[in-house]
Amino acid sequence: MTHRTRWLIAVLIVGPALTGGAMAAAQDSQFGIRGLGTPGRWESVRSRSTGGAFGPFDPLSPLMEAPLADLGQLTATAAGYTSNRDGIVGGTTTPLRTTRFPLMGVAGPVAPRLALAVGFTTYLDRSWDVILRDSFMLRGVLERYSDAIASDGSVADVRFAAASRLSRRIAIGAGLHLLAGSTRETAERRFDDSTFSRVQQAAEVRYDGFGVSGSVLIGVAPGLTIAGWARSDNRLRAKVADTISAVTDLPRMAGGGILFAPSPNARVAASVAWRSWSRAGAGAFDTWNWSAGMEFGSRRMPIRLGGRGGQMPFGPGTKAPTEVAGSLGTGRAFAQGRAFIDVGLERLERRGGGLTERVWTVLVGLTVRP
Amino acid sequence: MTRRRLALVGAVLLVAACVERLAAPGNCPDFCPSGQITVVDTLLTSSIHRDSSYRGYVLAYQSPLMLATHLPGATDTLDGRPVFRINGFGPRFRISVTDTTSGPILGADSARLQVTLVRRDTATHNVRLQLYRLPITIDTGTTFGALVGPFTDSLVRTVNIDTLLAQPGRKDAVTGDSVVVDSINQRLVLSLKLDTAAARYVPTDSGTVAYGIRMAANTPASTAFGKGTLLSLQWYLRVDSVGTSVARTPTVLYAALATFVFAPPAAPIDSTLAVGGVPSAHSLLRVTVPKAIRDSSQIIRATLFLVPAVPARGAPADSFVIEARTIFADFGAKSPINLLLGDTVMIHPGATDTVKLEVTNLLQFWTADSTRPTVLVLRPEREAQFFGEIRFYPSVATAFRPTLQITFVRRFPFGVP
Repeated sequence: MTHRTRWLIAVLIVGPALTGGAMAAAQDSQFGIRGLGTPGRWESVRSRSTGGAFGPFDPLSPLMEAPLADLGQLTATAAGYTSNRDGIVGGTTTPLRTTRFPLMGVAGPVAPRLALAVGFTTYLDRSWDVILRDSFMLRGVLERYSDAIASDGSVADVRFAAASRLSRRIAIGAGLHLLAGSTRETAERRFDDSTFSRVQQAAEVRYDGFGVSGSVLIGVAPGLTIAGWARSDNRLRAKVADTISAVTDLPRMAGGGILFAPSPNARVAASVAWRSWSRAGAGAFDTWNWSAGMEFGSRRMPIRLGGRGGQMPFGPGTKAPTEVAGSLGTGRAFAQGRAFIDVGLERLERRGGGLTERVWTVLVGLTVRP
Repeated sequence: MTRRRLALVGAVLLVAACVERLAAPGNCPDFCPSGQITVVDTLLTSSIHRDSSYRGYVLAYQSPLMLATHLPGATDTLDGRPVFRINGFGPRFRISVTDTTSGPILGADSARLQVTLVRRDTATHNVRLQLYRLPITIDTGTTFGALVGPFTDSLVRTVNIDTLLAQPGRKDAVTGDSVVVDSINQRLVLSLKLDTAAARYVPTDSGTVAYGIRMAANTPASTAFGKGTLLSLQWYLRVDSVGTSVARTPTVLYAALATFVFAPPAAPIDSTLAVGGVPSAHSLLRVTVPKAIRDSSQIIRATLFLVPAVPARGAPADSFVIEARTIFADFGAKSPINLLLGDTVMIHPGATDTVKLEVTNLLQFWTADSTRPTVLVLRPEREAQFFGEIRFYPSVATAFRPTLQITFVRRFPFGVP
């Protein structure tokens, strides 16, 4: 099988997924209902199992482009997860469950110093369903009703990335991000009084946006690498039936990380990221997020641990909600190292505005090197 | 082995992907969408215009019922009388069923008339039906006035329904009359035995007979008689068979004409909006729905308010239903009515309360298809089956004009964060 043929097969496998933004979805949260949504985590299962600390150094995580330069061969990856979430407000707990496939991509070298990647990940998850029970005076009578307002879909980040290792110490990368997706939104009201018809409205909202990113990896010393990245997205335009319903500025972001590998069987990393989500308007906050994690053991079956914390961009009040999570995971190589399955488990807690969310997430990732 | 494991992981992922539970109770406003369902309620006082009434849609003889009424009023008495004609077999009748030999009909021994009361006021007692012989020349154009004479001097039978119902087996052994109570269909089937004097078979008239029914009771009364197979006559004939008079029982005959006459006639159409009566009247109301509601809102309730100009006419027990429908095209009185959608309201005779007619279905239909004419037709649900009629103030009566109250929902702000 030639190099070009392998690329073609990989693109054919991943390509259809790139055409539908709604396919991509990420971790939803009630904190995202009032804002643009819940930002996705641009991490492979391997990175997420380390709290995201390995994200800047993982070529299969779409956070940075520069690590692609060290990808020795064509690689395709995909991830999926299931979350069980308890939303707690005022002592009332609501169990929720979601399953998402937030990541898919293919990458590989195309020239001695050039690697390319294409794939998608979730930029914003906009899947939620809110049920309300209320009443109001209508025609002089107190009318009771039930509302169900739902959104199903997401905004995907379709990334075209290139990376090059300029020297033994420095690798750089750049990416082009097309934000695309759609949500199927419905608003329904049922009155207890059947003389009022059921209110039922629906629309498909399509989103588009654009962003660019750049990143660098610097080998400071043997076993010690630092990373830096920056990204700027312009705006998210929402359209309903060819009519622009909203244009929202998107954040600028920057982050960095450090990876220390004292031995082939031990790796420790930490990262930090800043995002200017406050550009999105009222109720949005700039966020800082940190993570730290480690991976030890052989690459055929490593053990991963990590933790992360930081802020959520959308929430009520004047203070950004916070989140903290711990995770662990492992992986297994198959088929003489041509296939990897990564699994992870994450426990997450978010707090803000009187709402507490506690989430168990089971992650499964599949990586293939044809 | 590896393939098997991969397949297993894939299957687990697929199964997991099928389970989704996203619905959460809303904790508003903090954790609810910024957009809300906005309900607006508005009273359109001048949206109905160019309204008019027309009479003559269903005439008495076209009604599936024959109305018998005796309603004394303040100035006159509403008097409705069923009249019907049953054609006979002609001057001759077949002697035998095995050949075509016929003999002249000499006359009738008797006959049995079966009439069915399909609607009656059970609170009205001592109801008496008086059967009159009428000229066989009656037709669809016969008026109440033309039959005053026969209804005065041609009484052939009187039947007291209450008395008959009280008889053992509901049969009168003396007169031969009987009554059957059809409790399923809420009907009374009266079988009246007519003797030779009451049922004259006149061969020169081809055996045709015509009768009229007049009703009397202690209190105002209103009933309705069925037509078609619900009104029949069984002759018991004498036929001349080569000089010998033989008895023959031919098949049952049904009415060739069944209608009713009444007085006073319905008041002429005036500026009010008349609905109901006999012949039935319709009213057309042309409605202007504001563009903002029609084009970009969802109507969840629409109520038409109509103020009666006079108390609804009709028998107290005969509440009747009027319905609002829309039309396919506006041709005035001859507008084709769309029977798919309609809204109804009950009218109680004598009442003067404002009538509230829910027309949600119709307005939703208009908003769904803007090419439809926005015209409401008000008509009785059962045309010419009640004498009941109501008249509403028209749009020119500014203080009491028809109004439309619409509750609608504005377009939800989808896509707005």
